[in-house]
Amino acid sequence: MALIDYRPDAMRCTRCSYCKWVPLDLVKSWRYAKGCPSVEHGRFHSYSGGGRLITYLSLLDGRSEVTDRVVDIAFKCQLCGNCDVTCKVCRYDMEPLAAQHEFRFWLVEQGRVPTRYESIIDGYRRRGTMVGDPNTLVGDPQSDGLRWARDLRVKDLNTDRGEVLLHPGCRFSYDGGLGPVARTSLEILQEAGLDVGVLGAGRCCGGRVYHMGYRDDFTTAAEATLAAWEAAGVKTVVTLCADCYHTFKRLYAERGSSVEVVHMVEMVARLLAEGRLEFTEEVPLTVTYHDPCHLGRQGEPYVPWDGVEKKIFGQAVVYDPPRPRYNGAQGIYDAPRDVLRAIPGLELVEMERSREAAWCCGAGGGVREAFPEFNAWTAAERVEEARSTGADAVVSACPWCERNFLDALRGPRGGDGTGVAAPFQDSGVAAAPAGRGVAAPGVTAAADAPFQVFDVLDLVRQALPRKGA
Amino acid sequence: MGFTPEVYKLFEDIVGPENVSDDPAVLDSYAFEVLADLVRPEQSHYMPRPVAVALPGTTEEVQALVRVCNVHRIKVKPLSTGWYHFAAPQSDEHDTLQLDMRRMDRILEIDETNMVAVIEPYVIAAQLQAEVMKLGLNINVTGAGASCSILASACAYAGQGPMAYWMGGNAENLLALEWVTPTGDVVRTGSLGSGAGWFAAEGPGPSVRGVCRGTFGSRGGMGVYTKCAIKLCHRPGTTEWNVHGTTPAYRLPVDDLFRVYTLAVPSWDAWADLYYKIYDNEIGYIFHRQFNLAGANLAPAFWLMYNDHTKTLGDVEWMAQDPAVKELTEEMRISFQFIMAGRSTGDIELQDRVLDALLQQVGGWKVERFCEDDMAEFTNMYLQRLGHKHINYVWAGGYVGTWMQIGTPDWVKNYIPIASAGLERDAADGLLVQCGGDAMMGSGSGFPGGGVTGLEQFVSYDANDLESTRAAVRHMEDAVKDAASHGLPPGKEGLYLELSKTDEQVHAELAAANQPAIFRFQRKIKDAIDPNDIGDRLYATLPPEG
Amino acid sequence: MGNAIGRAVDARDALAEIVRGEHVSDDPATLAGFTRDHSDELPIPPWFVVRPGDESQVRELVGWANATGTPLVPVSSGPPHFRGDTVPGRPGAVVVDLRRMKAIRRIDRRNKLAVIEPGVTYAQLQPALAAEGLRVVTPLRPRAGKSVIAALLEREPTLVPRYHYAFPEPLRNCGVVWGNGEATYTGEAGYGPPSLDAQWAAGMRQVDPKGPAQTDFVRLLSGAQGTLGIVTWASVKCTLLPETRKVVFVPAHRLEHLIGVCGRLQRLRLGEEVLLASGSLLASLMAPMREADRSELPPWTLVVGLAGRAMFPEECLAVQETDVREVVADLGREHGLEVADGLPGIDSDGMLEILTGVSAEPYWRLADKGDCREVFFNATLDKLPDLVAAALWLAEESGYPAADVGVYIQPQQQGVVHHCEFTLPFDPADADEAAAVRAFHTTAVERLAPAGAYFSRPYGPWANPVYARDGGSTAMLRTIKGVFDPNNVLNPGKLCFR
Repeated sequence: MALIDYRPDAMRCTRCSYCKWVPLDLVKSWRYAKGCPSVEHGRFHSYSGGGRLITYLSLLDGRSEVTDRVVDIAFKCQLCGNCDVTCKVCRYDMEPLAAQHEFRFWLVEQGRVPTRYESIIDGYRRRGTMVGDPNTLVGDPQSDGLRWARDLRVKDLNTDRGEVLLHPGCRFSYDGGLGPVARTSLEILQEAGLDVGVLGAGRCCGGRVYHMGYRDDFTTAAEATLAAWEAAGVKTVVTLCADCYHTFKRLYAERGSSVEVVHMVEMVARLLAEGRLEFTEEVPLTVTYHDPCHLGRQGEPYVPWDGVEKKIFGQAVVYDPPRPRYNGAQGIYDAPRDVLRAIPGLELVEMERSREAAWCCGAGGGVREAFPEFNAWTAAERVEEARSTGADAVVSACPWCERNFLDALRGPRGGDGTGVAAPFQDSGVAAAPAGRGVAAPGVTAAADAPFQVFDVLDLVRQALPRKGA
Repeated sequence: MGFTPEVYKLFEDIVGPENVSDDPAVLDSYAFEVLADLVRPEQSHYMPRPVAVALPGTTEEVQALVRVCNVHRIKVKPLSTGWYHFAAPQSDEHDTLQLDMRRMDRILEIDETNMVAVIEPYVIAAQLQAEVMKLGLNINVTGAGASCSILASACAYAGQGPMAYWMGGNAENLLALEWVTPTGDVVRTGSLGSGAGWFAAEGPGPSVRGVCRGTFGSRGGMGVYTKCAIKLCHRPGTTEWNVHGTTPAYRLPVDDLFRVYTLAVPSWDAWADLYYKIYDNEIGYIFHRQFNLAGANLAPAFWLMYNDHTKTLGDVEWMAQDPAVKELTEEMRISFQFIMAGRSTGDIELQDRVLDALLQQVGGWKVERFCEDDMAEFTNMYLQRLGHKHINYVWAGGYVGTWMQIGTPDWVKNYIPIASAGLERDAADGLLVQCGGDAMMGSGSGFPGGGVTGLEQFVSYDANDLESTRAAVRHMEDAVKDAASHGLPPGKEGLYLELSKTDEQVHAELAAANQPAIFRFQRKIKDAIDPNDIGDRLYATLPPEG
Repeated sequence: MGNAIGRAVDARDALAEIVRGEHVSDDPATLAGFTRDHSDELPIPPWFVVRPGDESQVRELVGWANATGTPLVPVSSGPPHFRGDTVPGRPGAVVVDLRRMKAIRRIDRRNKLAVIEPGVTYAQLQPALAAEGLRVVTPLRPRAGKSVIAALLEREPTLVPRYHYAFPEPLRNCGVVWGNGEATYTGEAGYGPPSLDAQWAAGMRQVDPKGPAQTDFVRLLSGAQGTLGIVTWASVKCTLLPETRKVVFVPAHRLEHLIGVCGRLQRLRLGEEVLLASGSLLASLMAPMREADRSELPPWTLVVGLAGRAMFPEECLAVQETDVREVVADLGREHGLEVADGLPGIDSDGMLEILTGVSAEPYWRLADKGDCREVFFNATLDKLPDLVAAALWLAEESGYPAADVGVYIQPQQQGVVHHCEFTLPFDPADADEAAAVRAFHTTAVERLAPAGAYFSRPYGPWANPVYARDGGSTAMLRTIKGVFDPNNVLNPGKLCFR
């Protein structure tokens, strides 16, 4: 596809602005009605899903040129996909999220990217990962990437063969502050008797460079990874990271991969359902679950399609064969909730914006790397929403979300490796715009209440039978 | 005079540089508007491009911007949520500053005791409704749906919808308001101006709000409304919003105090009779011919498809041929959606008895398939929130409403055959969506308590197809002619087509109106209130005298 | 002729030509009837009284007034008048007495609509509607000669808040001759040809009050005291005539105790007529009343009419009554409130007659002592107890016994707005009492507006203090006046059009 292929989407955009809100049926308050971090931060219509369609239509029509503002519009967005879900509540002929990806590819090809992108992509090319400051490495991929697995007996699929690959992803590999999630996962898989191995360090899925618009870099990463999988005989990839999950499940599949992709929360849910895993320990917490964009609304399975637009009833626009409809209906929402509900003593409460309507953590689409203030603002908004539920903690199934929430709670360089957060402190980012006005009773959480951030696997680890017990 | 870098700097000084832009691509996201393609030269999707867009955060900032524009003779065009070409600049010849009111997004007050809410322009219906429902109250969500600004509908546009029958249209529900006039003065109407709060719209003496809005408001053509109070109404039953279901067909459980029906009748005479009987018996809460927007030939298949998330639009083609669906299509050919709410169990049970008796009187029936739990919950969700209004565009991304002349049911029923025949004829060449000649949708009553209704013909065209778009324009012109040939005024298409005309043409049409003095008065009002002509011609007037 | 007599002769000739000779009067007795009313406006005799018979004559009159600079004072109702709006505010004015225009142009059962002229009174209209199974919601016991159109144009509160969707309901469309002589129709009628017959022939009805175009012309006329235009016909929305009726009462010692119940009834749109009344007001309404009964009337009563109509009227009324009793039991328990079927000297039928009929002669507000003053304003329900207390305190302070003040609270606009009215009967021969009443009347705005009372209809001496509080509206209203009545010929001296 090319940008021009999305011209019909722009022409058929009605500027309804649904893309700025969560699906309207799901609006439960004034405070948490808005769904698009980009337009709430950037404010002008161009920063919305529909606004971007119009922005590039204007460029394609020769009515405007690529300016710094246009670059800002194109890239200051997490590509969280809320606009895609809300647009498709009513439309079958629009692909606003795919179009935004294409907009970025088009700009990258012209070399028109945000100023920070150059060093970011340079660092990625040198180090093979997005994690850490490209100039001052937080983790040396070559030496640190498998630190979490030290002293565990695990098959190295670089040299060995195995059907199941555990892929922790860059964030769990190199961000020591996120706790022993990868280790716990490996133990669970091994105890379940799976033929599981790891592929060693330096294997970024490439998803984040794809989202930043560097399609070629992604292709390079994907081809290398797929070759390694093939060499190792991998049939199933279990990942801990929602970004990786989406990349493998959708983007790799689009490039011909037939490897089964499973998120670890799905695997745990499966093992629980089959009676192969049991929780015995109480975890006396009230938690709220944050749906990662790439596991939730973007976590739908890939459906091959190579078709064309056609018209029925004279002018009704349909596709031949029927085009897959990625609208968030079949995302991974229930597996993590099933796992959490199975934990003794744990109470799960929902945020207003959940499942396909979840507000993004802020980290996606290159925003964490290139727009730290916007990233922090977005995360702070989600943390505030999580706190408004009265929960003790927010739980996610993606290390990027966790890292962002931890940073929002403790400041951008926080993290002590325990997975237990310090009390919320104002990080100094601009207050969420929805912070003005009449809030529903009880939505403003006390600033000094303890609040924690977990991965689902953190809580799973606590709920598992104590070793030796 | 006009827009210069110095003027831009003044705008920046007022709202801050982060809240103003003159980047062409940004400006085009305001110039691009739905329906523009039906009225602009060469079917362009762009209305005139503003010279800048500014995002004021306070009434004082609005005032300051308006005053600068007065000095420099720049037109001012505010938008709240901005859906329709009316929201964009209207003049190619004049510089226009677009005001995007999104920073003014607060609910300032919800007064449960007195059933009043006070809001700013960028509060959408879904937000306000969600908040007041927690208190067992409700608002009239306008026909444009839950994504739209309540203030805009109340102050500047029509403001009617499926709920107007019981809750009042937002024209009726508008209480006190704050208005930055085209000269930058602030007028606070009703009780607000006297410092007595927001509750009363009228007075002191004559109601100033009479010049703020009539059948329509000025659609951004006469100053900026910055705050308003809106009348709330009761919503029985639960205060929980227990929406469930899989996107896109979310569902809302039907509370014990509610009933959700799709009703059908054998003829348009019976349709009118039933409407009158409903008015007389004062039953019902939300009253709308909604689902027929997909066209009487395809609506049942479409909605059944929509309620199955594994299906997609193309499935309607074969589903419509299913014998059971075909039977259903005939069963609900003349049908509408009707939600009743009782203040008590006794009340809702009595309403049910009354409805059954009325149906018997007119030979009508409940459409069983659409009254089953799944479709009833979907209907309940759809009409309680109106969160699916963008589905108006579902067939091909282009839709224009034609007809919709407002009148009594007896009057409206007479134009339905004309409108239906017109659409059949104009869609025969396949350049418009062929979903049955009757794709007519509309509120059970545009005024509280019943009395006036209207049906809008849903004409769908492909907004990405020049020939289809041109066919839609031809249909609009045909609809005007069809109406005229039966002695009827133009419908909605007339309002839209007006934007394609020159000032001279518009003035000539207004001069030829049945009562041109109305537009003479509006000319005088404009001259007095907007001496520097910073508004636009959506505030309709005859030309300046002399 | 250049002198005063000559001008008068010219004027008489001109007026006679417009309305025919017998409908022009300058005899002192006729002029006296329009020189003063029960207000404290300075008595200024009109120059002439003319009685036009149709719209074209009204147009010609307004044209003549503009040409000659003569003030016109439109009057639609018969006496007594109370508020100074129907007596000249300037010398040399011509009263336009519209009572000749009293045709009921159309009664439309299917659309529940009556089209009437300004001289049509409630006493005339109700029986005609009843014959068609309809009725119009009225103000509280209007006087027999009260013009329906005048009452609605002046936003007189009406008794059934459920049907009061917005002001000036149930007034819908009007034919108007504006101050500059132009004639238009308001509301949806403004889109059709300027002829009711032509509109009816085309199947058009005059239902929707909005517009036409971007202006709510009828709202400009409402509360205008005849200063902007003269209405020559109007459509009025009716309701079905109930087939079964009943009134119940909720007595209380304190107004505060009734606020919750009253608010809930509004919210549920429950009941037909709903009003709050002090004992003294009920006594005035029910007069003559036995003193024993009068003294036993509760200090406050919530009066709730119930009505069954259309299908299943008996069941409809029964459900309403059950629901009312439940609301009272639920919200009134704390204060010991109960639903009563009657009060001392008042039963359901008696109150129904009060609520659905017109006043006997003399007009009930005058019956007690021969004269009265009213003070009224709008407020929200929750503010009423404090405002009523403040007003009654002011009455005492003015030298008028608070216990004698009739207090009438009428929910409007489905419970969002409440009309709060104080009636002070007095003996015009009793100088002290009259002075006390005047003091109360003239200081009401100054004392009550700061507490939240909204004087939305500023008659006579209230105009200056009311408009002084709202410079923005004042300026805009003067702008509007300049558009519709540029020569200030319509009722000059009223409102902020001094």
